[in-house]
Amino acid sequence: MIEVTSLTKRYGTFTAVNGLSFTVRPGEVLGLVGPNGAGKTSTLRCLAGIIPASGGKVRITGHDIAAEPVAAKRALAFFPDEPRLFDYLTVRQHLNFVARIYGVANHAAIAQPLLEELEIAEKADQLPGELSRGMKQKLAIACGLLHAPKVMFFDEPLTGLDPLGIRRMKDSIVKRAREGASVVLSSHLLHLLEEVCSHVLILKKGEKIADGTLAEVSARFSNGEADVSLEEIFIRATGGSEN
Amino acid sequence: MLHALLYLRFTSLKNRVVQFVRRLRQPKYLVGAIVGAIWVWFTFLRRLTTTLPAPPTGARGAALARASQALPIDWQPMVAGLGALALLLFVVFLWVLPEDKPGLNFSEAETAFLFPAPISRRALIHYRLVSSQLATLLQSLFLTLVSGRWSILGGNLLIRAIGWWVILSTLNLHRTGSAFTLTRLIERGVSPGRRRVVVFGGIGLVLLMTAAWIWRGFQPPRPEDTANVAAIFRYGQTLLEGSALGWLLRPFRLVIAPILAPDWVSFGRALVPALALMVMHYIWVLRMEVSFEEASIDLAQKRSAKVAAWRSGQRRIGTAPAKARRGPFVLLDTGRPEIAFLWKNLLSTAPYLNLRSLAWCAAALVFACNWLGRQPEWRATLPAVGIVAAFAAGYILFLGPQIARQDIRSDLTNADILKTYPLPGWQILLGEMLAPIAILSGLLWLAVLAAALAWQPHQASWLTHGLRVTLGVCLAVLAPPLTALQLLIPNAAAVMFPAWFQAVRTRGPGLERIGQRLIFVAGQLVVIVVALIPAALVALIPLGVAAWLFKGAAVALLGAVIAATVLVFAAIAAEVWFGLWLLGGRFEKLDLSSELRP
Repeated sequence: MIEVTSLTKRYGTFTAVNGLSFTVRPGEVLGLVGPNGAGKTSTLRCLAGIIPASGGKVRITGHDIAAEPVAAKRALAFFPDEPRLFDYLTVRQHLNFVARIYGVANHAAIAQPLLEELEIAEKADQLPGELSRGMKQKLAIACGLLHAPKVMFFDEPLTGLDPLGIRRMKDSIVKRAREGASVVLSSHLLHLLEEVCSHVLILKKGEKIADGTLAEVSARFSNGEADVSLEEIFIRATGGSEN
Repeated sequence: MLHALLYLRFTSLKNRVVQFVRRLRQPKYLVGAIVGAIWVWFTFLRRLTTTLPAPPTGARGAALARASQALPIDWQPMVAGLGALALLLFVVFLWVLPEDKPGLNFSEAETAFLFPAPISRRALIHYRLVSSQLATLLQSLFLTLVSGRWSILGGNLLIRAIGWWVILSTLNLHRTGSAFTLTRLIERGVSPGRRRVVVFGGIGLVLLMTAAWIWRGFQPPRPEDTANVAAIFRYGQTLLEGSALGWLLRPFRLVIAPILAPDWVSFGRALVPALALMVMHYIWVLRMEVSFEEASIDLAQKRSAKVAAWRSGQRRIGTAPAKARRGPFVLLDTGRPEIAFLWKNLLSTAPYLNLRSLAWCAAALVFACNWLGRQPEWRATLPAVGIVAAFAAGYILFLGPQIARQDIRSDLTNADILKTYPLPGWQILLGEMLAPIAILSGLLWLAVLAAALAWQPHQASWLTHGLRVTLGVCLAVLAPPLTALQLLIPNAAAVMFPAWFQAVRTRGPGLERIGQRLIFVAGQLVVIVVALIPAALVALIPLGVAAWLFKGAAVALLGAVIAATVLVFAAIAAEVWFGLWLLGGRFEKLDLSSELRP
């Protein structure tokens, strides 16, 4: 469960996120959308405890990320758009390292099926430098999933993946949500959000324009029209520009 | 077409200068530039203006003879010979080393814009040559400044600058010509192995012919031929005169000759054949019609990746290329998470930095020092070994943290991921620092062991066997906290001032970067001195008590050293812990994206 109340993030005099509030319950997938510079990445980084919020509260599985960061982070996983890996650790050694950090007992029994699910088992003894962009992404995902997080944040999760990889990633996100995880993902690929997300939150210039289930947000901006795509809703909600 | 290319080159240069000036609006660059300028002035320019050799007049070498710090003029043939030999070796490497088509030095942007453009290959070569001339001019200027006090070079500053330019330009042309020739050879199916056999075979033949020449006309040296190094060299040169090696070195001597000219007349005489050689190189380069584009694109990509790695801090001097290998030890799934960082960072170091190597080195030191101590004719060298070990310990302690950087400094780009780990900041920083602490402590222990073995009790009456062992053990005990304290400072700089740290570690020329690095090193020295004051003060307590109450009795001195060690250990450990706690809090709040925003 993710509970966000009046989240604000400022960089000097510039306000990137302003008074954002929402909740993501177990099993829900929230799509964070907005034009460039809307504050999506800042929001995700505040939620994951990477940067401190300037105001407001973020609770991850009941733990305040500011007051109890260790307990909150034990429950979450953050997947950046660009996989951040250690050059000198093989795929298997990455999982070994992460297991020790999170205290995952008998990690090998969990890691092997995970590697097979993500189709990188045969690359287990290779270094990141020997992997393709997509493979690196999969390794970062395997590392994030190893401790079975209850909360997951994805920042542009499909960047660099091939069509098959995109399909697998979507299935993986939906599977984790069905198993009870709360998921927030940010993406410009609106068709992905339509397929994967149960809820959507539209941001513009750091402020919430709309949120709710896909049906609720569609109803608000469809002007009575039927079968309006999320892309059309996005354009109507944001006024078709970044400003 | 060449005009357009020159426009690109000069506009880029102009914009770089404008960018540099604009950057000076930021205090971190302005302060760095000022300090860098002061350093350059005091290191090169000021000395040049105060000890500039007198203007050359009259006979060859007169200016050198008058200069107070001049090397003897008869050393000049030796310098010319060694210089020619160095150039020969460089050229041999150019012909031997490349495994694949060498390519030309174009940037990635240049390959993207210029290669598909309607530009002839010859125009591209000219563009490359003109571009490299800009770099050559700057290098010549730099070398002129560096060699400002090398009176053996003779002449004045302008002669030296032109001399350097001749050497660098000729080498550059030769590199381009050899790259083209190698490309052609590879295209014709000549393998690198065959090429190396031919080059080394040719050099071997020259050496054989030279040996035969010397054998045939050998004259034993007279006493004056072995009076000093210069005389020995002169004698050797006489032997080589007219030999195959002597002939092989002649073109290289022609390239060196202008920079060694003591006056303008000699310079003019030396410059004509050197320029003729350059023109011959130029014609060689233009006449080689080979396809260099593909190899140049590969080269540009590799260089670009290397630069990106340097800028991101992922590549360091001495870093082993990434290679999959077993972990340094078995990492259990549960336990202190800091150990996981130690394990991870040890994997990024050279594989020979392990406990087994440490044990072997220690055993070798024990054996060598014992052997030296037992040999009457060698025993006198032991104090020298001790001094070298002490210097090595100082070097490891003070400069080691700048070299062993397998800590947060190398992982700053992964800060986002590290911060999502369920660990407080201080624990992440401590874990990150463990690998360099372990490596530097191991090296310090070796140095302490060597010093303790080398300084024998008979060398100083107060240095009893017991005190020697006690001092050695105490210094070994203090090695890890001292190393941790030293490492804490650059790590603190990386966490407290990431933008500054990022600028300092970025490689590349620039007055402001030189200044930033100097400020950084000076800052580290000041902080370490201040940090050691409390430890030094608490150490004085037991030592003072021993000296005052027990009049320096041996047993009291031993006890005082042990007590002082415990107190110093505690003081430094407390400082390190406090520093980690402070930095941990800072790390948790660190937002790299805003810190590194230009």
